[in-house]
Amino acid sequence: MDLTLDDEQEALRTATADWCRAHMPLEEVRSRPTGLWGDLEAMGWTGMTAPGMDLDHATEAVVFSELGRVLAPIGLISTTAARRWFADGFDGKVALALPAEEPSDMRVLDPGGSHAALMWTASGLRLFDMPNDRTHAPTIDLSTDQSRQQWTTSVSTEDAAAPLHLQLLAAAYAVGCADAARDMAADYAKLRQQFERPIGWFQALKHICSDMAVRAAVARSQLYYAACSLDARDTDAAFHIAAAKRLGDQAALDNGRANIQVHGGIGMTDEASPHLCLKRAHLLQFIAPADAALLLEGAA
Amino acid sequence: MDIGFSVEETRFREECRDWLHANVPAEKRPLDAVDAIGFDKAWQRRLFDAGWAGINWPADYGGRGLSIVQQVIWLEEYAKAHAPWIGANFVGINHGGPTLILNASEEQKAYHLPRILKGEAIWCQGFSEPGAGSDLAGIKTRGRIEGDELVVNGSKIWTSFAHVADWQELVLRTEEGSQRHAGLSWAICDMHAPGITVRPIRKMSGQTEFAEVFYDDVRIPLSNVVGGLGNGWKVAMSTLSFERGTGFIAEQVKAGQEIAELVTTARANGMIKDDRIADQLAQMRAEVAALRAMTYRNISEVVRIGQPGPEASVIRLFTSELGQRLERMAVLLMGEDLIDFAYGDDNAVQDYLRGFAATIAGGTAQIQRDIIGERLLGLPKSR
Repeated sequence: MDLTLDDEQEALRTATADWCRAHMPLEEVRSRPTGLWGDLEAMGWTGMTAPGMDLDHATEAVVFSELGRVLAPIGLISTTAARRWFADGFDGKVALALPAEEPSDMRVLDPGGSHAALMWTASGLRLFDMPNDRTHAPTIDLSTDQSRQQWTTSVSTEDAAAPLHLQLLAAAYAVGCADAARDMAADYAKLRQQFERPIGWFQALKHICSDMAVRAAVARSQLYYAACSLDARDTDAAFHIAAAKRLGDQAALDNGRANIQVHGGIGMTDEASPHLCLKRAHLLQFIAPADAALLLEGAA
Repeated sequence: MDIGFSVEETRFREECRDWLHANVPAEKRPLDAVDAIGFDKAWQRRLFDAGWAGINWPADYGGRGLSIVQQVIWLEEYAKAHAPWIGANFVGINHGGPTLILNASEEQKAYHLPRILKGEAIWCQGFSEPGAGSDLAGIKTRGRIEGDELVVNGSKIWTSFAHVADWQELVLRTEEGSQRHAGLSWAICDMHAPGITVRPIRKMSGQTEFAEVFYDDVRIPLSNVVGGLGNGWKVAMSTLSFERGTGFIAEQVKAGQEIAELVTTARANGMIKDDRIADQLAQMRAEVAALRAMTYRNISEVVRIGQPGPEASVIRLFTSELGQRLERMAVLLMGEDLIDFAYGDDNAVQDYLRGFAATIAGGTAQIQRDIIGERLLGLPKSR
C-alpha cells in the first residue's frame, strides 16, 4: 500500500507542470496558439496508457490533474480514452460527445481539428465519425468550443473499464481545476492589502481558503485511490472512480465559487481569471458524471 | 502507487481478525466513566496479554515494535470487529505514552510505559484551563521550585477521566513571570497526591467523563518533569502533532461502518425515497471512501519520509466534521424517536450530543482552519 508519488511520477508531474506554465498558461486559455494540439500530442500524454505503453492509471491521473490545473483542452480526455480502447488507429484528435439518446442531436465538445467524437455512457464508450461541414459555437467554458451533430456510424467497446477510464481522467481534470482555484485564492489573499494588511490575515478570508484546501486534498486522495483501483482491476473500481468524480466536481465547483469571493470586485470581472475555473467546473459536471445510486451502494 | 497489501501484511490482518473474533467482549462498554473503569482496565490487560497493546511502541517497553502499516491494519480490524472503545486508557495510549516515548528519560519510560500498556495506570490530560482554551499559551497554573520539588497551584479544565486517573500529563508555568510559550514545563502529576481536588463535570449527553481539577500546594518531584524544565510547549506540541497525524484511524474506520448502517436504516424506514437524504448519503459514502484514501496517503508519507505530510492537518478537520455529519444524519433518520432521549440512553442521540466534542476538543475546527491556512497555504499568521 502506497499512495505517494514515486520519483518517476514526481519528475513527470514537475515536467508536466513546467511545460504547461510555459506553453499553455491558464490566464491565456482564450488565446491558445493554433499549433497547440500538435505540441500536446508530441508530449505523449494521450498515449500514456495506450496499448504497448506500460504506464499505469495512477501516473496518468497525476499528469492529468496537472493538465486540468491549467484548464487544458477537453479533447485530451477523449483522445486519451480513444487511444486506449480503440485499436484501429485514431491518430488524430478525438472530440468528446456528451451522452444523448438517438435520434436527438449530439453535443460535441472541443470539435476543432477532430474527425471523430467519443461518447461516454456508464456502460461503454462509442466512437462516432464527425461530419466535415459543421459550425463551432462557444460554450460557457471559454477554453472549449462545441458543435452539434446527428448520429453517424459508430464503433463501440463494452469493456467495463473503458467508461471508468474516461471518468477517471475527467475526475483528474476536476481535481486540477480545484487546485488552481485554491492556489489563485491563496496567492491573492497574500497579495491584496486592506486595513493595512494582507486580506489572508483575516480569519474570515483565511478560513475560506482553508476549506478550499480541504476539498482539494480530499478529492485528490480519492483520485489516487480510484486510479490504483482501476490499475488493480479492483471489483470496487466503479465505486471509487465515481466517488473521485463526485468529490472532484464538487471541489472544482465550490472552490471556483470561493475563489471569486476571495478576489472581491476584481473576481467578478471578465478580465481576471477566477471565472475561468468556475466555468470549467460547470462544464465538467456534465462529463462522465458520478451516479448517485452507485455511490449509495458503496464498496464491498 | 498501489492499494494492495503485502503477503506478510495480509497474514498479519488475518491474525488480528481471528483473535478479535474470539475475544471481543459480548457485553457493551458501560457509558459512565466510573462504571466503565473496571471494564476498560480488564480489556486493556487482555489486549496486552495477547500482544495487541502498543503494536508500534518499542519492544523494550512492552510494545511490539511493528510497523505503522501493521498498526493501521490492527486498528482497522479492531473497528471492524466492533471491539470496545479503549475509553479511560485513551489518554495514556494515544497521548501520554507517545509523548513519553518521544521525550522522556529512560527511567520515566521504563516505569510508566508498561503500566500504560497493561491498563494498570490510567492517565488524564492537564492542558486547558478556564482562561486558556484555544489560547493554550495563556496557561496560568504555576509550579514553584522548592528544593527538588514543584509546588503546584492553579486549576485545569475539560480533563477527561480525571476522577478515575492515576497520572496526569500536566503543563504548567515553572518560570515565574514568564510569558506565553516560554517558561512552561510538562510534568507527570500523581492524581492521588494531597492537594488535588476533582470536580466532575456532566456533559450535555449525560456522562461525567471530564472534570475540573484544582491544585492546592500539590508537590511533584522535579524528576517527574519530562523533556527538561522550560521545554513544556515543545513537549506538549509533540503530543498534539501526533494527534493530528495518526491518532484518528479508529474513528475513520467507524465512519465506514456508520454510513453503511445509515443507508440500511434509511432503506428500512423508507426515508431514502427523499432525494435530499439519498443524495446526502451518497455524498457521505464518497467522503468516507476519500477519508480512508487520505489516511492511507498520510500513512504512506510517514513510511516514505518518516513524518506526515503537510496535508495531515486536513485529516483531523475533515474526520471531525464528517463524523458530525454522520451523527446528524443518524438523528434525522430516527424521526420522532429523538424526543424520547433520556440520560443513560446509549443511542444515536447520545452519539450526536457527544460528537460536538470532535470540533472543540484538542484544538477547535477554527484553530485547525488557522493551521491549514497558515502552514499549508502560507497565509499570514493572524495571532
